[in-house]
Amino acid sequence: MATLDLQNISKSFGAAKVLQDISLAIQDKELVVFVGPSGCGKSTLLRIIAGLEEATTGQIVIDGADVSGAHPVDRGISMVFQSYALYPHLSVFENIAFPLRVQKMADAEMRKRVATAAEILQLTDKLPLKPGQLSGGQRQRVAIGRSIVRNPKVFLFDEPLSNLDAALRGDMRVELSQLHRELSATMVYVTHDQVEAMTMADRIVVLNKGKVEQFGPPMELYHHPATKFVAQFIGQPNMNLLSGTVKGVGPEGLAVEVTGGTVMTLPVEAGGTRAGDKVDVGIRPEDIGLGAGLRMNVNVLERLGGQSITYGLLADGARFCATLDGDAAVREGEAIDLTVDPADCHVFNANGDVLRRLKAPELTR
Amino acid sequence: MADMTVEAGAAAPTTMPRRLSEGWFAWALIAPAMLFIGVIVAWPLAETLRLSFTDANLGGEHWVGWANYQALWDSSPFAQTIGRTFYWMVLSVCLKLILGLIGATLLNAAVPGRGLFRVLVMPPWVIPIAIGCIGWLWLYNGHFGMLAGLAQRWGLIGGPFEFLAYKQSAFYSAIVTDVWVGTPMVSLFFLAAMQGVSRDLYEAAWVDGAGRWYRFRRITIPQIMPVIVSMALLSAIWTFNSFEVIWILTQGGPRGATTTLIVDTYKTAIGNYKFGEGAARAVVIVVLLASFSLIYLFFLNKVNRKYGVK
Repeated sequence: MATLDLQNISKSFGAAKVLQDISLAIQDKELVVFVGPSGCGKSTLLRIIAGLEEATTGQIVIDGADVSGAHPVDRGISMVFQSYALYPHLSVFENIAFPLRVQKMADAEMRKRVATAAEILQLTDKLPLKPGQLSGGQRQRVAIGRSIVRNPKVFLFDEPLSNLDAALRGDMRVELSQLHRELSATMVYVTHDQVEAMTMADRIVVLNKGKVEQFGPPMELYHHPATKFVAQFIGQPNMNLLSGTVKGVGPEGLAVEVTGGTVMTLPVEAGGTRAGDKVDVGIRPEDIGLGAGLRMNVNVLERLGGQSITYGLLADGARFCATLDGDAAVREGEAIDLTVDPADCHVFNANGDVLRRLKAPELTR
Repeated sequence: MADMTVEAGAAAPTTMPRRLSEGWFAWALIAPAMLFIGVIVAWPLAETLRLSFTDANLGGEHWVGWANYQALWDSSPFAQTIGRTFYWMVLSVCLKLILGLIGATLLNAAVPGRGLFRVLVMPPWVIPIAIGCIGWLWLYNGHFGMLAGLAQRWGLIGGPFEFLAYKQSAFYSAIVTDVWVGTPMVSLFFLAAMQGVSRDLYEAAWVDGAGRWYRFRRITIPQIMPVIVSMALLSAIWTFNSFEVIWILTQGGPRGATTTLIVDTYKTAIGNYKFGEGAARAVVIVVLLASFSLIYLFFLNKVNRKYGVK
């Protein structure tokens, strides 16, 4: 397996800059997820790594060798496509064996490799079938099998689960994580689904408008989002953002006035912020509990069993969301009082950059 | 039990007329189409079949039973015509398919000016066949034609050469013109099929190291195979029945060298006013084309199963 270094990668289509100066160092055996909204450039970046697109500037280095101009085969990568890209006229065996047939590998060795891949992916009894006779999850596994048989240095996955239904997606997520452990492979995985990113990644790259917003382990992104964008992108439901004004700066943090004149002392580094500056206070719905503090009129209540997600408006009309206990005594149309521990709050300056939290939980991976 | 009987009895008067009227409505909807098909297909077909058992001509008609068919069976020129028709069809269709495939591949390639080429390939198909054929008549002309002129200039022939005056050259010249007329449509059908092949399949194969020829052989051809089979049949039927090209270029000559079944039928029925004998030839054509269609359906199902088309 191998390391993958992206050095100052930029890509333009005419005047449109799709990727801007992206540098990432991906370690051996690491599973890195590129995540971001549609059009952020994550698939383009993956295609550049694969060799399907050429970077306008920058280098791709795999295992110390610059492969920027090399053919995908010579890069030692393999790719699993969103559509699976299975050949409908070929059997599962032939689909998996396709790259080996291209290489004109000896028949015995080819059969051995296909059999091994099929066993890992539990496809042994499906080998004679055509892709059209398989379920979505099985097709996905065939596509992965085609990648495995080549023994690539780096596996690339382009939104491989987005065509599956929710239940199957959950199962496949677990299978892919298991596969990553079994193969001890370097993998780059593109998704727009932050749940996939959080659950599978060793490290996540959050992309926005062609730039890296943050690159780090999932829980670092959750507890220490570098920007307002990352804070809102990571976490489900989205983080609440309240407009606030800094009333004072002290060693214990910032005194910030938020909605309805409530002043909270938030334990964050001042980072050059002064009294009178406008800031945004971020509060994750799951950090909120019932208790005196903010008053919200509940418009929508979603009972999920273990949790109740409430959506409503605060006194100043700001939209707000809180995740409460499953059995919380809340009803739609009623007002409830909510409280939050100031240590759980995130504060972003006018540029959208975070002010580092002083009492964030220890990072876990 | 008594209640159920009453209910059934009560329901009957309300549902029966509705069902009846729905049935009549459905028949009323398809009646115009059935009438149309009856007038332009079924009746002429039945009439042709009837005529084929008569000696119908301008002077009248008498029932002759299988005599017309017996005469065809015993006629060696007719056997030659059938053989020539099949040779004409197989050669022309093969050329159309091969050239169509090459053309479609070139038109599908990412080359500058691709759009212009796509337009330029259309004229043979778009302009009326008669006009195209008259153009070819000039090209084949021994004294004024471009082909003979170029061949003389390059020293390939010593003097004027009438392409349509000799048996073999007339036959192959007619094939060239028929291929010229028929290839663009085949090409465009293949091009449409090629554009329907998922780009991901090619990218996946490319990432796996498959070269251009390998991708063409193992992805493009299998993916468009159902269209190739369909076009082979349609093209075979059209070529089998191709009349204008031969009639305008050679009228079946010289000495019958380009007389195919359809030309022979026309000459017999319309040229020589032997409607009965012509009808028998037409029936033979129908039987042969129906056989093609059955073979085609058999192959199409097989191909669709093999290439994963539902």
